[in-house]
Amino acid sequence: MPEFSGHLSLRAAPRADGRTVLAAQAFRAPFHLGKPYWDAEARTLVAQIVNPTAGILAGDRLTSDIAVESGAALLVTTPSASRVFRMRGGAAACEQRFTVADGAWLEVLPEPLVPHHGCTYRQHTEVSIAAGGGLFFVDQLMPGRVAHGEAWAWDRLTLALEVRLGGDLILRERFDHNGAALRDLAALAGSGPAACFANAILIAPPSGHETAWRPALAALHGDGLWLGVSELRHGGHSVKIVAPDAVRLRRTLRDVRRILAGYFPRLACEVRKL
Amino acid sequence: MTSAPATSTDAAWILGQLQAGDSFYPTGSYAHSFGLEPLVQAGVVHDRATLREFIFLSALPALRHADLPLAAQAWRAFGEANWPRIGELCVLSSALKTAREARAASEQIGRQRAELLATLRADPLATDFLRRAAAENWPHSSAVSAALEGRVFGAPLGAVLAGIGYATLSSLVSAAMKILRLGQNASQSLLTEALAALPGHIAAAETTAFEDIGWFNPWLDIAAARHETADARMFIS
Repeated sequence: MPEFSGHLSLRAAPRADGRTVLAAQAFRAPFHLGKPYWDAEARTLVAQIVNPTAGILAGDRLTSDIAVESGAALLVTTPSASRVFRMRGGAAACEQRFTVADGAWLEVLPEPLVPHHGCTYRQHTEVSIAAGGGLFFVDQLMPGRVAHGEAWAWDRLTLALEVRLGGDLILRERFDHNGAALRDLAALAGSGPAACFANAILIAPPSGHETAWRPALAALHGDGLWLGVSELRHGGHSVKIVAPDAVRLRRTLRDVRRILAGYFPRLACEVRKL
Repeated sequence: MTSAPATSTDAAWILGQLQAGDSFYPTGSYAHSFGLEPLVQAGVVHDRATLREFIFLSALPALRHADLPLAAQAWRAFGEANWPRIGELCVLSSALKTAREARAASEQIGRQRAELLATLRADPLATDFLRRAAAENWPHSSAVSAALEGRVFGAPLGAVLAGIGYATLSSLVSAAMKILRLGQNASQSLLTEALAALPGHIAAAETTAFEDIGWFNPWLDIAAARHETADARMFIS
């Protein structure tokens, strides 16, 4: 089986007129970069990261390094879900690093991860934000190929996230579950056989508006949807969502962005998918 | 199994561990349900069977991947006077808890344990830790403080981790008795079952690397976050 050792490197910087451009870019298969799009209203550059192969396979080693310089604003997304295919041995790994400077903004909003039967996948994400930088980071997970009747069938999934603000570790999360264990937790919580997850981190300089947007987000909870917001050690918030299916998760994320955009205008950036 | 008699040294650390693990010892942990109350309010845990599932699917894995390896690393670091590592572990312990009240609970219990230890034992390790924690602004951690207690008492690592595991599970079951229809015998049989699984988790935690520490249950984190603004509640967390 062919193996990829792919990498992606992007550096976003402001031009003299204030528009963000990709001042440096380098990538190797299976990464590919679509033509960036400038959202003039949100003043944010949208970059689509494309995986032209079918998905992630055993032996794949993916690394990415995305940096946003002071005065620049970047939204990184993907056009479709990332499938992690069945593995008859071995594993796949992804190392991601994001760096956000003082006065920079980064939104990371990839489409969901879809782990197939028997796969083992490890993703390690490091985010480093300078004081005065802003971030909205989202990871989404589907239980599998639900339409094919395949869910919770992966062998092991490790999604590790570390966030440092001004050099201080403010968050480490390790989502480390086999499919059966997460299926049992979903059943215990009554989230149903097709439960989907989103884990979002919002880092932004204090705006004084937390008392307004937090209740609005919390009000999305109910009718089968779980949503909780809590403060991180300092400088940001965690937003966790469990939805009964992928459609509800997509709709909820759209609502979360819409609510937050009232206070963090970069989140009004048009993703042109949600 | 050997029939070697316990030494006075053994008796000293065993007594220290018993005192620190006693519900009579004022750590403040009685005020916390460690996420159970919000899950009861959400209707997830509502009887012995669902409590058992919660313990085996969430409480034990969280111990195995977070609090126990944190304490194991801290116990070793205290033994080597590796203060930079102890500072990292204090910060990591705080960073692992995304729900504010869960983080505050660990910090309050950890602070209380460390300060009480320094007051009662006047041990230089405890006072040195408190001085450095204040100077470096380290967040307190219940797991790190339990490791500190173990070092001051002279307890071996396995005993320290067993003490943390027992305290966590017994606190959870004790809280459950206050908010569920759960009798004493049913509680003790459940605690016994959970404790039988604990040695395997302790053994795994002892060899967990620093970079592999951490685990979360999305539903528990969401419920804990929502508990912060609950209209009525019995426990702080």
